[in-house]
Amino acid sequence: MDYIDYYKILDLKKNASTDDIKKAYRKLARKHHPDLNPNNEEANKKFQQINEANEVLSDPDKRKKYDKYGKDWQHADQLDAKEQQRRQYQSPSGGYDGGSSYSGGFGGEDFSDFFSSMFGGGGGRSSRNSPFKGQDYNADLQLNLVDAYTTHKQTLAVNGKQVRINIPAGVENGQKIKLAGYGAPGVNNGPPGDLYIKFNISDHPRFKRKGNDVYIQEEVDLYTAILGGEKIVETLNGKVKLKIPEGTQPDTTLRLKGKGFPIYKKEDQFGDLYVKWQVKLPTNLNAEQKELFEKLSKS
Amino acid sequence: MENNLISIEDVCVHHQIQINFIQSLEDFGLIHTTVIKKSIWLDSDELSKLEKYLRLSHDLDINLEGLHAVAHLLTQLNDMQEEILSLRNELNYFKQIN
Repeated sequence: MDYIDYYKILDLKKNASTDDIKKAYRKLARKHHPDLNPNNEEANKKFQQINEANEVLSDPDKRKKYDKYGKDWQHADQLDAKEQQRRQYQSPSGGYDGGSSYSGGFGGEDFSDFFSSMFGGGGGRSSRNSPFKGQDYNADLQLNLVDAYTTHKQTLAVNGKQVRINIPAGVENGQKIKLAGYGAPGVNNGPPGDLYIKFNISDHPRFKRKGNDVYIQEEVDLYTAILGGEKIVETLNGKVKLKIPEGTQPDTTLRLKGKGFPIYKKEDQFGDLYVKWQVKLPTNLNAEQKELFEKLSKS
Repeated sequence: MENNLISIEDVCVHHQIQINFIQSLEDFGLIHTTVIKKSIWLDSDELSKLEKYLRLSHDLDINLEGLHAVAHLLTQLNDMQEEILSLRNELNYFKQIN
């Protein structure tokens, strides 16, 4: 277990009074409390450290052991017994000389094993034995745009367990969903925590999503743009035949109502699909074609 | 226990709190209880809210008025986080097309 300087965490001097500790804890807890910093893992970690420091320093017995033994304070009773045993064989002046590296800085990022064993790995609760909900878990799930278009099931591993989840169509990039009861077991028979899954949806080379609307660009040749025609276009749910009116200008956008992205948790409701026509000009004209264009330009 | 409901008596015993605390939270509009056959129940979402207010009350010594203000600010924070997410995705769309 890493040594943690609890005084440094609470920004206290070694001779701080109980009242100073309480005040320092409250001040820092108000800033870093996880309930006041949703989705902020850094604050959550910091709060766990503050809580642990408070648990130890606010208890006179634990504080005494911590002050005496530093990182080994949890084994204070065993160390005291050993010390007593040693004194029986050595001179009375030979005091305890172990565990004195007290000034070492705080380096560990996680809360200590002590805290973990006491509170079941996380919530930062007080030492009273009341039941509390278990720690919430967070997981990221990578999807592509086509995956997010349909409701489907996926299995993901969370803390060594396989969790099968239903992903509703229309989830947004960065969106989080909660799976109640899939977090850590509760403390003192409290209910289990929840599992929060964040969806990371990768960009699609063809379909660009903006909210529930989808945007695509389609090429149309000059002749069809001028004379009109039809084109089969691929959408997220199949092919559609689109009419191209005579004289379609470059960058003209066509809206296909209800052909966009499914609206999250709203059955049979969809955004729109916008098709932008990109008029492709002919290249490598032969002499005859050039002549025809010249005639056209003069007409 | 009904489906996804827990009686407030059980909650009070588990958390060692007075029933008044739950009633006060409801009076402030911070949680909503369900009455079935003259018994009062909490669903799992409301239980989570109750436990959050309990933690804030216990850990930070925040009174009911303070909890009410915190709840209001957290709602605003949540709305803003959702708006940021939506704006980020919109910005990403414009980055892709340019």
